Amino acid sequence: MKYLLKSLLKTIPVLLFITLIVFVLMRLTGDPVSLMLPETATQEERETLKNSLGLNDPLPVQYMHFLGDLVKGDFGDSFRYNTDALELVMERLPATIELAIAAMIVAVIISIPLGILSAIKRNSFMDLFITGGAVLGKAMPSFWLGIMLILLFSVMFQLFPVSGRGTLGHLVLPAITLGTGIAAEMTRLIRSSMLEILGQDFIRTARSKGLRETVVVNQHAFRNALIPVVTIMALQTATLVGGTLITETVFAWPGLGQLLVQAVNLRDMAVVQAATFIIAIFVIVSNLSADLIYRLLDPRIKYE
Amino acid sequence: MKMKWRAGALLLSAGLLLAACSDKGEADEKSGSKPVEQSDSKTLTIANGSDMVTFDIHDHNNTSTEAIHVNMFNYLVKNGGDEGFLPDLAESWENKNDTTWTFKLKEGVKFHNGDDFTAEDVKFTLERVARDESLLEYGSYKQIKEVNVLGDHEFEIITNNPEPALLNRLSRLGSGMLPKNYIETEGWETFLKEPVGTGPYKFKEWKRDDRLVLTANEDYFGDAPKWEELVFRAIPEDSTRVSELLTGGVDVAVNIPPTDVQRIESTDGVHVAQSPTQRVMLLAVRTAGEGPTADPKVREAIDLAIDKEAIVESLLGGAGTVTRTRVTPGNAGANESLYGVSVYDQEKAKKLLAEAGYPDGVEITLSSPNGRYLKDKESVELMSAMLGEVGIKVELELLEWSAFSEKYQNRTFGDMFYIGYGNSMFDASLALERLTFEQAAGETDYDNPKTEELLKAAEKNMNPEERTAQYQEAQELIAEDRPQIYLYQLDAITGVNDRLDYEPRLDEMFYADTITLK
Repeated sequence: MKYLLKSLLKTIPVLLFITLIVFVLMRLTGDPVSLMLPETATQEERETLKNSLGLNDPLPVQYMHFLGDLVKGDFGDSFRYNTDALELVMERLPATIELAIAAMIVAVIISIPLGILSAIKRNSFMDLFITGGAVLGKAMPSFWLGIMLILLFSVMFQLFPVSGRGTLGHLVLPAITLGTGIAAEMTRLIRSSMLEILGQDFIRTARSKGLRETVVVNQHAFRNALIPVVTIMALQTATLVGGTLITETVFAWPGLGQLLVQAVNLRDMAVVQAATFIIAIFVIVSNLSADLIYRLLDPRIKYE
Repeated sequence: MKMKWRAGALLLSAGLLLAACSDKGEADEKSGSKPVEQSDSKTLTIANGSDMVTFDIHDHNNTSTEAIHVNMFNYLVKNGGDEGFLPDLAESWENKNDTTWTFKLKEGVKFHNGDDFTAEDVKFTLERVARDESLLEYGSYKQIKEVNVLGDHEFEIITNNPEPALLNRLSRLGSGMLPKNYIETEGWETFLKEPVGTGPYKFKEWKRDDRLVLTANEDYFGDAPKWEELVFRAIPEDSTRVSELLTGGVDVAVNIPPTDVQRIESTDGVHVAQSPTQRVMLLAVRTAGEGPTADPKVREAIDLAIDKEAIVESLLGGAGTVTRTRVTPGNAGANESLYGVSVYDQEKAKKLLAEAGYPDGVEITLSSPNGRYLKDKESVELMSAMLGEVGIKVELELLEWSAFSEKYQNRTFGDMFYIGYGNSMFDASLALERLTFEQAAGETDYDNPKTEELLKAAEKNMNPEERTAQYQEAQELIAEDRPQIYLYQLDAITGVNDRLDYEPRLDEMFYADTITLK
């Protein structure tokens, strides 16, 4: 409990630092006014808009205003949509969580059997094929994979809808696109973790007791190999969120990733702030829960 | 087991490879592209590159948002191009004197919530945008001083100065009529969530970044709506939008990249529609100061050295029209003799350079945004090469849009910059005002007293014929003086399902009832 409280307290400076970085970077990389007004706008129109957006104050003053509002849970209004930024972010969150969970399921379904298989068939053709596939899966850019999956399964075979959100069918291709990279990472990790465990004394003991190989692998080795896998799954939250930026844009999936990409492109500062803040909380919470699950899986681990 | 694995994996890799190849869009390989289904569904689905931004019609300047709004809200008058202005909510109008216009409204028009549409709504709508300077459309309406209600269906508009382009202003973005009573009793927040207008289609649902759905308004005052439902989808990725078109997922897909045109043309059931837009690409040139472009001969040489037709053909896949004016057909005051033509003569360009005192060539700077316009980087690189052939060595500066924009606002470019201008007003005044002495200062520094006189006179001239003649003459002078060297007008490339009869419009609006089933 004490550990949990301490960890939660530690997140506050981290979150503050994130808001500062995003704030400074967004203001350094360009001016939203030039993106909101057409080329033909006059200098007077630009100044008026800049004033009404509060962009004429010095940066530290702007940041103080921002922090003051933040305490009240107000990230400000989106320049583009003219509505509360946090509301926009929260509206998109369910779609992104749905996609992330589906991608994780895809990753688990692919990686667990393949990881175990390549460990127990070590150095066989199968092992080579799986590890090779994992490298490929990791290296494949997700926008390319997404577009190829659309061309193959939607345009050519017409099995799944091309884009958008709605039915389960809509979820399949984006989930595969997003899940592939994570599956690749996890397959390699499960393989090496399994290999390490399979070489240990208690496995030899189990085998010498005359246990069947499936029991050895499933009940003794796999459970122990799972510990680092749980950690990596939690750490993949950041990768998942990063992946949604691209996957959601390719599949016109109305989630947080697509919102963030557009907001960055248009320097919609309030939305970028709100989105990165929520993402940061997600990543922190998932890392924290990894710590806790770790402890459940291996009671020997104690936190001071 | 092992064999099955291998076979499956091989099949998947082969499939991905096949898909990768078909992406190249080779016309003769129709590998797997099935003909697109031709349904007779009464739902029209249109795919845009981005979502609509808001229902606050005064606080955006987004063409694709307006293209949706025109189905929900009506203007007072419609800009019929060559046909002049046509009645919409206004039945008739009169220009009483230089600053007063009276209008008579159609009777029996109702908002989607059942409220009557009256002159009070007009006053509410126009005075809001003319007075609140925080609204994005304020600049286009601040010319309106006040709106006086003369009766339930009669009102007058008083402008601050003579406004020959008032009807242009009233037939575009920001002029959709809002329900005063509904907004005042329910509040803006409610209106923005559940908007009501007078148009042929009414609001059903909006899932942001996904889709906006409108349904037919059975009580519409005009002709009955032709579609039961309109769906506007937001699909940011170009190739996904094209794939939706190819699978029949959408009926119309906007902004097709030139590289995908072949892919659509080679599939049965869909076609590509190409139509001009209001955007004209140009080079703005400094006409004063120490630089070489202060010499009109150098400016002419630059114009003559660039083969605009070649750029349109090779980089834009033919999706553009060369022009020597920014006021293209369809705009009030257009000079059509300067449209569809370009000058290109490298030998003459060399001669002019020599006459200007640069027989061994000259160096100039050219700044351009990178990633703002279709093929902007490639276009300026090609132009630089063409200029190099006649002895004009170009120092090219490619900038990301916000960096470009900062220099643009501060007017700190060197000799030339490349930019594209739109014109939502459909009038020469907006297109040419940047060349008035006051606005050109520090940018092109254009100073021809004759042009200035014509532009200033036309700006306030309430006689349309005379005004057009003034603008046409000004365009001749500008084409000669070259403070801006016009290159080409960009086309919009739209993918369309064959079940539709649809011609994209110059203003890029989607009036759903002009799109019909074949």
